[in-house]
Amino acid sequence: MTRNSFYIKSTAQISIQQPLCEDWMENPIWYDSNYVRSLEPDYKQYIPPMEARRMTRIMKRSLTTSNVAIKKSGLVLPDAIITGTGWGCMDNTEQFLEILCNEGEQLLKPTLFIQSTHNTISSHIAINTCNNGYNITYSHRCVSFDMALFDAYLQYKFGKIDSALVGSHDEVTPTSFVLLKKMGLVGCDDEICGEASVSTVLSSTPSDAHSAVAAIRIIYKPSVSEIHSTVNQLLADAEMCTEDISAVMVGISGNKTTDNLYYDIVDNCFRDKTILHYKHVFGECFSASAFGFYAADCCLKHGYIPDFLYVDKSQGMIGTPKTILLINHSDGKTFSFILLRSV
Amino acid sequence: MDELILELKNEIIETLNLEDMQPEDIDTDAPLFGEGLGLDSIDALELIVLMEKNYGIKLRDASKGKEIFKSVRVMADYIEKNRTK
Repeated sequence: MTRNSFYIKSTAQISIQQPLCEDWMENPIWYDSNYVRSLEPDYKQYIPPMEARRMTRIMKRSLTTSNVAIKKSGLVLPDAIITGTGWGCMDNTEQFLEILCNEGEQLLKPTLFIQSTHNTISSHIAINTCNNGYNITYSHRCVSFDMALFDAYLQYKFGKIDSALVGSHDEVTPTSFVLLKKMGLVGCDDEICGEASVSTVLSSTPSDAHSAVAAIRIIYKPSVSEIHSTVNQLLADAEMCTEDISAVMVGISGNKTTDNLYYDIVDNCFRDKTILHYKHVFGECFSASAFGFYAADCCLKHGYIPDFLYVDKSQGMIGTPKTILLINHSDGKTFSFILLRSV
Repeated sequence: MDELILELKNEIIETLNLEDMQPEDIDTDAPLFGEGLGLDSIDALELIVLMEKNYGIKLRDASKGKEIFKSVRVMADYIEKNRTK
């Protein structure tokens, strides 16, 4: 049995678009502000109040998207829970540090201490879903989701697991937004800073799946020729050729500095391809690349691409997409290439 | 004493994020842990911090907590006898 395709059984998102649904494909919400917080669902429908009382927003979001994705997939107990997050539970971390400073390192609240680490999210999902399987957190700035998916894909490819819950979650508090903006990481130029919580369940069985991860490659500080060869290797891994790529989805966000890197890749490697983007819809944050994955999966599942995802509609719109190549980078250093195909 | 009990109930609601509860929803004599309010060991740690921060009571012996946190009334009684602020 070849294990090249890891089938996407389900996805769920909470973002600056309507939560836990795919309304954004027909009726996206547009924002004028460059800092927008996620639209929250009614968590009482998903988490008992006595359990929810200790959870901050990111914990409620991640648990809800995870449980919804698990339920939709029909898989009760995925073999692995693999999570990406850039800054983890920032709200708890900020509160903990504030008390640490104000109380002279005395009288620290245990809940904030326990729940301020990056791996809080993944372990919390495991405890809530009674899952004792492989559990790990990847914190690699803007490629955190890509790293989590890469781990799941490799473990699947080498026969270690047959299914996985992969997610990426980041919250952007008002304080962290100010800091990230000063660092030039979010909210620059025309960019919208959002928040992300995306969960997906992947499985070895294609039944009920509409799309699959066909190949992944991640490289560090590549030259143009290395990007060319990586894409060729990626396509070879999936037994495809360049002509098979329906569209290339990139992380253009409105930040001129980081966008130029995508334009360079497109100009050098994909001049004839249809280019798509998604961060103008979902916003930028460390976990934003998970929205690229989610949006591409939605397009493959529904068999069409909303016109607002095209970077340049004059290039021509495509019919039913069959294969979408996702390209993401973190700080212009680490580049990821993820190939999704319809099933 | 009644004033302290009400104050304590409000502090418990705030500290433990019992969002949908009002002071009158907490039975003054019901157990805080297990069958009563249903609090757990992390809540116990939060209550220890609350007593030190708000009333200046340092609980050196953690095993004493089981007796002190028996109910809001027992807790209020202990605070009244031992508070330093």
